[in-house]
Amino acid sequence: MVEIALGTALAAIGAGVAIGFAGLGSGLGQGMAAAGSVGAVAEDNDMFARGIIFSALPETQAIYGFLIAILLLVFSGLLGGGQGLPTEAGIVAIGVGASIGFAGLGSGMGQGMAAASSVGAIVEDNDMFARGIIFSALPETQAIYGFLIAILLMVFGGILGGA
Amino acid sequence: MADGIATLISSLGLTQETFLVFCVIAILVVGAVVVIITSRPILDIYPYLNPSARVRARKGRLFDEKQISEIVETNNVEEVENYLKGIPEYADVLDEYPLDKALDVERANTYDFVASLAPKDIKAPFAVMSKKADIDNIKSLLTAKEVGLSPEETKELLIPCGSLYEDLNSLADAGTVTDIVTSLDGTEYAAALEDALPQYESTNMILPLESALDKYYLGKLLRSTDVPSDENKQILYSYVGTQVDVANLKLIIRAKEDGLDYEAISPYILEEGYQLREWKLKDLMESPDVTNVVSGLEGTKYAEALTDVMPVYNETGSVAVFEKALDVYTSEYSKSLASKKPLGIGPIIGYLSQKENEIKNLKIIARAKREADFPNSKIMEMLI
Repeated sequence: MVEIALGTALAAIGAGVAIGFAGLGSGLGQGMAAAGSVGAVAEDNDMFARGIIFSALPETQAIYGFLIAILLLVFSGLLGGGQGLPTEAGIVAIGVGASIGFAGLGSGMGQGMAAASSVGAIVEDNDMFARGIIFSALPETQAIYGFLIAILLMVFGGILGGA
Repeated sequence: MADGIATLISSLGLTQETFLVFCVIAILVVGAVVVIITSRPILDIYPYLNPSARVRARKGRLFDEKQISEIVETNNVEEVENYLKGIPEYADVLDEYPLDKALDVERANTYDFVASLAPKDIKAPFAVMSKKADIDNIKSLLTAKEVGLSPEETKELLIPCGSLYEDLNSLADAGTVTDIVTSLDGTEYAAALEDALPQYESTNMILPLESALDKYYLGKLLRSTDVPSDENKQILYSYVGTQVDVANLKLIIRAKEDGLDYEAISPYILEEGYQLREWKLKDLMESPDVTNVVSGLEGTKYAEALTDVMPVYNETGSVAVFEKALDVYTSEYSKSLASKKPLGIGPIIGYLSQKENEIKNLKIIARAKREADFPNSKIMEMLI
């Protein structure tokens, strides 16, 4: 069995939480947006491009989670063969994962609902496109906060930059 | 600090591996709780997302006020038809049928469309509504037989929609109204029609048969909405219940205008109303005249709409003003319900209600355009 330091193992849990929950939120959100978009395209073929845009919006949460997970894996020594993390940094890594994971979950779901609703509004009235994008982009902020805090935790928790 | 954590872990009697397992379990438990809590609203919303987008797409293609004005300003019914032929929603049906029949077909298609896409939880009432084409066809058959139309003329009246269309089409050759009623044995309408048949035979008027069909339809519609267990079903129950109340009210008002008493009206009324329960309906049916019916509605949600048009009724003496006021009220109420649950049943009710109004308005315009020199301003007043 490969020898892994406790801190590194905890960082692996953090990476799993990061992509797991962010991906869950993103998937649910994208599913809702896509369900609405399919309904719109069924009635109006011209809605395809706009449906794709709104369905793609909740993808970002999974990207943030994926990015944080990769950073955790690299800087904890699991990828790239660097030094293992000390235990306290491993615990910080769980916080990092939870930060982007849960923020991404809520943000993705919220964005999915807003996007599905926006698609319905646009298919009813074309002029709603810009306003629909603005409303759908609003729930992105929670994921950005989570991402920012995850980065700060990694920097000041000794995972990135060795503070 | 690492030493402190290691000491803490060992003081708990755990190895590093056991500590890791506890961490994993804790994360899984928290994750499961979060997933359960967050997935609930999603599960409520998800079945409505696709239908909502589809009905909103069609709602966006309904006529706006400018288009309705353009249709009103046409010179005759042929121009109305030509205008509608330029609209994809009506072009197909107008290629096959004359205007009035095309509008009936479009309405039946709308009910079928909504019934086919409504999520399972709320499908039943819409499925009942989609059977309205059958009821309208039976009524047309009965009327045709009563006035002695030929089989060809009778077939022209039938809307080619509904599950009984083929059977009803073959009944155009039936000899009498009684033959039609007995031929419908085995259909869901048989019991209602057979109960009303003696009354038809004694009066020789088909009104009891038509009223029996209406009562059967409204009763089935009301019973199709089970206990309103969530917000979507509550909205649906209000929508359906209001339709039942309005149908009862229209019947009572018209009956009072004709001077009918409680005994004459009560067989045609659906006792299980929504806001107008059995005792209230009885009060209204026992009112001596239309004015007392309206004043008897005080405290109900229908009072304001009817009281507002009371002066017009006093001036014109026509109960049509109450019927229009009730139609407008139903339309406004449906609109308010439609905005309550945008990611639920709201858009479905909004579309259905507005499409019904559009077709009613087109029929009003078509009828008016057949009359010589019917003023456009008068048509605009008649629209819902």
